[in-house]
Amino acid sequence: MQLVAAPPRALIIVPAFNEGRNLPAVLAAVRAACPAYDICVVDDGSTDDTAAVAARAGATVLRHPVNLGIGGAVQAGYLWAREQGYDAAIQIDGDGQHDPAYIAGAVRPIFEGRADVVIGSRFLAEGGFRSTLVRRAGIRYLTWFLRLRCGARTTDPTSGFRAAGRKAIELFATWYPSDYPEPEAIAFATRNHLRLLEVPVRMREREHGQSTINIGRSLYYLVKVSIALLLLPTRPDLLSLPEEPSR
Amino acid sequence: MSGELLTPHMRVFAVVVLLAFLGWVTVLVRHHRLSLRDSLIWLLSTFAALLVTIFPQLLVWTARALQIELPANALFTLTFLYVLLNLLSITIAVSTNSARVRRLTQECALLRAELQRLREKQLPPASGDGG
Repeated sequence: MQLVAAPPRALIIVPAFNEGRNLPAVLAAVRAACPAYDICVVDDGSTDDTAAVAARAGATVLRHPVNLGIGGAVQAGYLWAREQGYDAAIQIDGDGQHDPAYIAGAVRPIFEGRADVVIGSRFLAEGGFRSTLVRRAGIRYLTWFLRLRCGARTTDPTSGFRAAGRKAIELFATWYPSDYPEPEAIAFATRNHLRLLEVPVRMREREHGQSTINIGRSLYYLVKVSIALLLLPTRPDLLSLPEEPSR
Repeated sequence: MSGELLTPHMRVFAVVVLLAFLGWVTVLVRHHRLSLRDSLIWLLSTFAALLVTIFPQLLVWTARALQIELPANALFTLTFLYVLLNLLSITIAVSTNSARVRRLTQECALLRAELQRLREKQLPPASGDGG
């Protein structure tokens, strides 16, 4: 039944919105760290040269004609991964805060069949950028809430460094939250009985441009995610993960 | 009592406005600028408003049933509900549509990537990106 002949294929999903300046370095680092994996840059309606830069670096470019936000961008990557039949998908941010050296460690548990979703946690790693005190408090709260609400054990629920196996790709392609989707995606995966695992990942501060999160948005983030977790759908229609008919 | 609630003058005015509104919605539907599906909630709720205007006694009964002292306040309550109901239905439609737009946007991106891949297979890579 198992086809062991071909090596497992992995897709690296890089959502990017106006990241033309950060992208070349990020993609070069990803290439250097994982030459065997394909890269898919999701250009989420950028107004700069993000798509051209990504194409020049040899990545597959998914170019959104309009901006959907990070949730829609990441999901496009999972849709591509599902359509192209990848065994694993790794999402890292396009702004350079994630070190691609940790990709291999994040995919390994998936290829070994130990997990369906792997989260890169900055708090399990020594050193690196850990965000401000206030944001850490928010992260602690989300950690606690996720565990309370659906028993998901994670130390860094807002981390955008993720790896997903086939089941998770299928799930996220079917539905993915929008608008600060990271904690909700964990809850959704746990609800659908996917196995979660965390690996240490060192994060850096972004090199160019502003992070998208300020104080007002942080507050909105917490409120929105709390409500989303409270109203967490059981979605029995998605529990069974139907086979995608071949096109 | 029902005579005091709405003066004949007011009733005629209200009926004319509501009928005009019904007519407008009907025209929109006939000219395909409003789908019948989306218009149903407007047609039904406006029809209900029309009933209440023509038979104010309905309002008095409603007020009594809800233990509202002034039937006029029952009218305001119902009006408020009417607007809320229609507003909610619009919000639902907007949510549905943004989910669809999202999915279509992604599909566009996937198709474009697929097309690019086919192009690269067909043409020598030196022939440029086609702008």
